[in-house]
Amino acid sequence: MAKYLSKRVMTGLLCVIVALCLNFALIHLAPGDPIRILVGNKEPNPELVQVLTEKYGLDQPPLVQFEKYIGNLLHGDLGDSYYTGEPVQDIIKQKLPLTLFLAGTMVFIAVILGGLLGVFCAKRAGGKLDTFLGSFTYLFDSIPGYWLGLMLILLFASKLKLLPTTGLISIRESYTGFAHVLDVAKHLILPIATGVIGIVPYYFRITRASVIQQLGEDFIVTLRAAGMSEHKIFYKYVFRNAIIPTVTAVGIHLAYMIAGSTIIEIVFGLPGLGSYLMTSISRRDYPLLMGFYLILSVSVAVMMIVVDFLYTLLDPRVRHVSD
Amino acid sequence: MSILEIKDFSVSYLGDDYVVRAVDQVNLHIEEGVSLGIVGESGSGKSTLMLGVLRLLNERTSKTEGEAFFAGNDLIAMTRKELSKVRWAEISVVFQKAMNVFSPVHTIGTFLTDIYRVHRPAAKAKEIRKEQEELLALVNLPKQVLKMYPHELSGGMLQRTSIAMSLMLRPKILVMDEATTALDVITQNQILTEILEIEDKLQLTRILITHDMSVVANFCKKIAVFYAGRLMEVGFTEDVLINPKHPYTRDLIKSYPTFAEDGTGTVVRIPGTMIDLKKPYEGCPYAERCSQATDRCRKERPLESFVNNSWSYYCHNPLEGGRADE
Amino acid sequence: MNKMKHYLHRHQRLVFGCCMALVLVVIAVLAPVISPFDPYDLSDEMMAGPGSMHPFGTDNLGRDILSMILYGSRTSLIIGISSALIAAVIGTVIGAIAGYFGGKVDMILGEIINIFMMIPSFFLILIIVALFGSGLFKVMIVIGLTSWTGNAKIMRAQALSLRSRTFVKASEAVGEHRMKILIKHIIPNGIFPIVSNTTMGIASAILMESSLAFLGLGDPNTISWGQLIANGKAYLTSGWWISFFGGLAIIYTVVAFFFIGDGLNVILNPKIRNVTNV
Repeated sequence: MAKYLSKRVMTGLLCVIVALCLNFALIHLAPGDPIRILVGNKEPNPELVQVLTEKYGLDQPPLVQFEKYIGNLLHGDLGDSYYTGEPVQDIIKQKLPLTLFLAGTMVFIAVILGGLLGVFCAKRAGGKLDTFLGSFTYLFDSIPGYWLGLMLILLFASKLKLLPTTGLISIRESYTGFAHVLDVAKHLILPIATGVIGIVPYYFRITRASVIQQLGEDFIVTLRAAGMSEHKIFYKYVFRNAIIPTVTAVGIHLAYMIAGSTIIEIVFGLPGLGSYLMTSISRRDYPLLMGFYLILSVSVAVMMIVVDFLYTLLDPRVRHVSD
Repeated sequence: MSILEIKDFSVSYLGDDYVVRAVDQVNLHIEEGVSLGIVGESGSGKSTLMLGVLRLLNERTSKTEGEAFFAGNDLIAMTRKELSKVRWAEISVVFQKAMNVFSPVHTIGTFLTDIYRVHRPAAKAKEIRKEQEELLALVNLPKQVLKMYPHELSGGMLQRTSIAMSLMLRPKILVMDEATTALDVITQNQILTEILEIEDKLQLTRILITHDMSVVANFCKKIAVFYAGRLMEVGFTEDVLINPKHPYTRDLIKSYPTFAEDGTGTVVRIPGTMIDLKKPYEGCPYAERCSQATDRCRKERPLESFVNNSWSYYCHNPLEGGRADE
Repeated sequence: MNKMKHYLHRHQRLVFGCCMALVLVVIAVLAPVISPFDPYDLSDEMMAGPGSMHPFGTDNLGRDILSMILYGSRTSLIIGISSALIAAVIGTVIGAIAGYFGGKVDMILGEIINIFMMIPSFFLILIIVALFGSGLFKVMIVIGLTSWTGNAKIMRAQALSLRSRTFVKASEAVGEHRMKILIKHIIPNGIFPIVSNTTMGIASAILMESSLAFLGLGDPNTISWGQLIANGKAYLTSGWWISFFGGLAIIYTVVAFFFIGDGLNVILNPKIRNVTNV
């Protein structure tokens, strides 16, 4: 097992390194000079450009820059933003919690909804209701998240005036304490609903497929032949076995949703990492982009390893194979 | 005394646009203490019969007709609850693919305990453990097996565990559905010899489903021959094997090398293939391949004819006396 | 006739999806003929609601929404189909080589596939398009280059199982060149799941393109549905129709390709339909 996990850790590490190299290469191959964008004027002051270029080490060859970047990285320094001058890690620390909260809540709700629906349909596999709901999830899958967000704003905020349109807090009011929490919660209902609708089909399909597969296993027939009630068979055995792929999916998804909530943050004007990223792209704020991408790929890699670890706990067969 | 009485029993598999009559009006009496071997080629309905009797077939894709009396109660007419009480406690099954019989993510001990508790919910953990260890000893397995996962056991060990599991509640009937087919011949014989001993000890009635004539010859008191979903011949093994009445029984015997060797030394292959059960037919299903067949065989369904009250066959032109290899 | 009916019933989704896609292709081809207006034409009727003149209304510059949607189908189809094809070719080749040659080749390619699977592709696409420009062609290539891993995994598994089959062994025994076997036997025999996966890929690529366009990273010179929706964002309350119909068009298209992919999957793997007893 240790061997198996260490192999996965290697893959994860490799993945982060490849991601970083790729990102660094892309950024340096790209046309467009960050200094020009930073200085702004059509005819910038050459001295200012000179100072800034030296300050950020942009006059050195890319390989030297990369070496320096990695060196700083190992000391926990992600560099300073070209635009605001703040350390990148501080910006990320400030923007990440909201994004994490959004991603976590969306995945959590989607797992429960999708899981329940999947179990419900798996029990009626092939039936009319199952086929209908199956087609319905394809419809959900086909709705572009940003469009859905806009339509929800249109319906619930603009027309019905039930919920706030965008932002994280009501600017005109200054709530404190519980009222503040309530206000934020109200602002988050639509973004979370949008995200959940987008990923529910994924969990629905995973759960449905694995429950159907488990129901077809031979040991289920053993349990039936032994007189165990369908109820008990389902909750103790089918569910226990069917949950494995879902757990795997949750872990990976959680990491991807950090990037996946970008569009939702933009549509709803939420000050998370995703929406800040879009601004940074247009500003050519390279250290920030690198930092963001690093966080993203590290979290994917870490989740991958966590999931593998969970997998070995849940499925004794993996333990065996890897020994 | 009959312990299991199967009457006019039929099973159909329902496809999208077809119906397969997998078991066709079978009548079979299983007497207490008289082990029965059910033989037939694949697709003869031998497994379907027992799965149908135990109502283990998918109810949406199959249809069961007829009656099956266990101790005077019709298993087919029972409520699910009543049936649950009979399953395993009275009739238990050893399945073919032992590898898949156990839940892959639970230990053997957990799985066995769960099944035990279905019927004896109040049983204490310690008692159950002791009981399980004794059972494992009965099939020559160490008690460590209880702590292991299915993938950690060999095929033979799994099959032994599966047998131990089936004996857990001291059932009256043990159905072995191709239980030893996947094992090598030596392990197979070992296990079956052990079963014979256990059978006497626990007063079990064994129903052994197999495609292997030699297994039935060595390990069963009676034999029932199936073909295309129908019972062809049933009787005491020595009677039927030495002096088969149904031409199919004879051909099946001849097609086994172990039997042919001490006779003519050649294996005789049965010409043709089994009829398509999706299409309705009249007469005897074996008529197309049978050397004795007449026009009557193709048109009229043979009824049960008796040689004596334990030996009967379904044929218009039964073989007269003589040995199978003549 | 009865058989035909049965087939249609059994493969409802496939038939349905094909019909939907066919309509779409016809629209894309005939866009200039059937569009009531020139989609680039700025008229004086700005922000007109849906009516007899403009069934889907007009946008803030007075352009006819219906015509824009009809023309937009071209962008979606071109990008969707070409990038899915790029992904199919790359995935098939890499997967087939990894699976068929096995050993060290498989180890290295397998690891590459794993790594690329883990790299968060949406953000990568975002960066590439943002930094390198957002022409139709570039968007197409970038989406294709980042979505091949699924195909590679499938093809690798196919090749692994095919390589031990008798006809492949026979060709090897005859001394045929391995590259030739790869092209002649492995790929053609293992391609079917790639076909269904690629159809699904078209749907995802169309969604991806529309997202990019919505974020302002689409080709500014072509009409696209995502761009149309982004355009309408500012006028959500006063002109809901600008964003609304573009979204419907995307849903329609994506559903069509999902249905085809799902239908092909069912044909490929009839087990999916098998009903289990509960």
